[in-house]
Amino acid sequence: MLRDIAKQRVLHVNLSTRETWVEDVPLEDLRKYLGGRGLAAKWLYEQVPAGADPLGPDNVLIFSTGTLTGTSAPSSGRSSITTKSPATGLYLKVSVGGHLGAAIKYAGYDYVMIHGVSPNPVYLWIDDEKVELRPAEHLWGKGTREVDDLIKEEVGDPTIHTGIIGPAAENKVKFACFMVSRYNSASRGGIGAVFGSKKLKAIAARGTGGLRPAKGKEFFALARKVRGALAADAGSHSLYNWGTAGSIPGLNEMGMLAAYNFSRVTIEHGERLSGQYLEDQGYLIGRESCFSCSTACHRFVRSESARWGGVFDSGPELETVMSLGAECGITDIEAVLKANQLCNDLGMDTISTGHVISWAMETYERGLISPEQADGLDLRFGNAEAQLALIQRIAHREGLLGDLLAEGTRAAAEEIGGDSWKWAIQAKGLEQSAVDTRAAKSYALAFAVNPRGPDHLMTETYAEFGFTQEARDVIRKVTGDEKYADPRLTEKRAEIVLWHEQCYGASEALGFCVFTSTAAFAVNPENMAQMFSLAVGVPYSEDELMLAARRMVTIEKCFNVREGARRKDDRLPWRMMNEPVPSGPNKGMITDAAMLENLLDQYYTAHGWDLETSIPRQSTLKYLGLDSVCVGIPVIP
Amino acid sequence: MVEAHIVNIQINAAKCTACKACELACSFTKEGVFAPSLSRIRVMQLHDLGMNVPVVCVNCLDAPCIAACPTGAVRRDASVPVVRIDEDECIGCGDCVRACPFGAADMNEERGVAMMCDLCDGKPVCVDHCIYGALSFAQPMPTAQVKRLAHAHTVVAQYRSR
Repeated sequence: MLRDIAKQRVLHVNLSTRETWVEDVPLEDLRKYLGGRGLAAKWLYEQVPAGADPLGPDNVLIFSTGTLTGTSAPSSGRSSITTKSPATGLYLKVSVGGHLGAAIKYAGYDYVMIHGVSPNPVYLWIDDEKVELRPAEHLWGKGTREVDDLIKEEVGDPTIHTGIIGPAAENKVKFACFMVSRYNSASRGGIGAVFGSKKLKAIAARGTGGLRPAKGKEFFALARKVRGALAADAGSHSLYNWGTAGSIPGLNEMGMLAAYNFSRVTIEHGERLSGQYLEDQGYLIGRESCFSCSTACHRFVRSESARWGGVFDSGPELETVMSLGAECGITDIEAVLKANQLCNDLGMDTISTGHVISWAMETYERGLISPEQADGLDLRFGNAEAQLALIQRIAHREGLLGDLLAEGTRAAAEEIGGDSWKWAIQAKGLEQSAVDTRAAKSYALAFAVNPRGPDHLMTETYAEFGFTQEARDVIRKVTGDEKYADPRLTEKRAEIVLWHEQCYGASEALGFCVFTSTAAFAVNPENMAQMFSLAVGVPYSEDELMLAARRMVTIEKCFNVREGARRKDDRLPWRMMNEPVPSGPNKGMITDAAMLENLLDQYYTAHGWDLETSIPRQSTLKYLGLDSVCVGIPVIP
Repeated sequence: MVEAHIVNIQINAAKCTACKACELACSFTKEGVFAPSLSRIRVMQLHDLGMNVPVVCVNCLDAPCIAACPTGAVRRDASVPVVRIDEDECIGCGDCVRACPFGAADMNEERGVAMMCDLCDGKPVCVDHCIYGALSFAQPMPTAQVKRLAHAHTVVAQYRSR
């Protein structure tokens, strides 16, 4: 089917009743929320009642393609999955690349909303207009790679795209992921466990249709121009050459490489975890793009390790080599590649897996986990063999420790007791990604207020470092002066966070990778608004775009408020607030409670949220046109 | 006479990242929509191997599609050494699709005619959109010379790695 980009469609699938139906999206809603992550936030608020069990029938999964996904807009092929998180009990949006979103788009749908729970394992097969729930008993228990092969064989077409959960998600591991297009991970917050609870093993799609932009020629020309600008960006070159893990040498030098469960900021032989090392040593065999991408930061690697066995996989990403590597005291890259492949195949988020294990290692070394409790594993830092065994046990919930760690660090620390919560590097129930927020204040604020928990994947404020002229230009635009491009300052951090929050929101609603707009800067609010306008065929300004993004951020906040979250929950992990950076150029730096309170005051004020509770004020909701959407929360005038 | 060094779209599969920008550019330019299924160039993503191979018409000297066409709609004009389909004469039988050894000819399901790359009058839009260098068009040397040179570089690289 060929269709207009402005005419969005939702495919609803009720797993309990096996009904499917299609709903059209009113153009007014698309304008107001930009589509993608924005509309999904509104629908999640409307669909999931307060207090609903994230792993029960009342939770929904909303797979959203970006509004510009499937077009030639550069790097616009990303999708979001929105749900209530089993890790935090709060709002969860996970962004993912690959090609599944484009396949669903060409099949004729912009969103797939999954309701209910299936009594038996199934997978969803979307073949253009034909939608089918197929039995998946024979796939249950199998790893993501094997299931990808099996579904393609069953459908008879190896060129289709899939999203698949592994055994970890079936076992409701709180940080289970959803693997898209075989090698891309929708990782955080236990998104996979929600699929597992619904007994939905996979989504597979083939789309042969197409999309018609309203003002085609102008859209195509602008998209080509932006593609060229992105390709010329220095940041894009580094990502192409060495992937995200190309930052390892710089981070190690700056004393910002989280290691040994965040107790150190540098690690000996850290360069062995770098993208540069992977290329130099011949592990890198190819570079890969997500759909329509002009950066190609994804990569293929191969290792034939005598000790750890063969690996053929994608990545490893920066966060993966830090979490499974440095945080666990491991710099043997072949072991890290093996751990990465295991996590991908079992279907677990590498960030949380690494941090659950690094917490267990520290707790073991401090004597709070006994050798008996560790089920015979020698859990000292650096023991890759123990780590690999533990990854398996967590995924299958084997043994006391495997089952305990499968619940995440917050629950594990509550169970083990003592002071172990102090080195559980989590807030809101989500393990912090391996970013040292002590030495960067916008990061600290962004992580504390992140509705899904402390990580860099809702709002990353990379520009505050001012590494490039483009980054300094953004800081000048946002704060009025380039001098605020200094991560140690506490002034103007709220302005910086708000701008990035909105830039992220707009990028993700339209399908753009945030690397294009907040790491490289060739995609910006102005040309995003232009591309939206030309594709959809309505006038649209940069201000309208940023306002729509602020709407989605506010709905996400209101979802959490309705679940009972307040100002006290906008926190950083204890270690980040109480133990200063131990060494290096940032030695002594900290974001302590007083500093964080100050940053939060700035942030809530800028948002028009109540300072005491952090609840969005009614006047703010009215201004955003959300007073009839965000109902059921305490009313503060 | 058709020259042996017809200028074709040159493919360096090792540089292809499967971004599909070529497919999007082609389908938009030819059909006004973004639809890989209507693109004259298609990227085969061999995911299990970690390799991607773009496939497009290579303008065979002895083109099976021309021989297969029952109406003479597929032909190579003397003036332009490129195999092309005259859509007015095409009856949508699909014989050229079946005859092409590469899958470079396909049916345009939307309009009921066959389609294949026509090199965009010498300025292929797919090449313009390929920022990774997997596709190229400017070719000052005959094809075989290009291949010989690439082979020579491979041999030298092997010597150096010893």
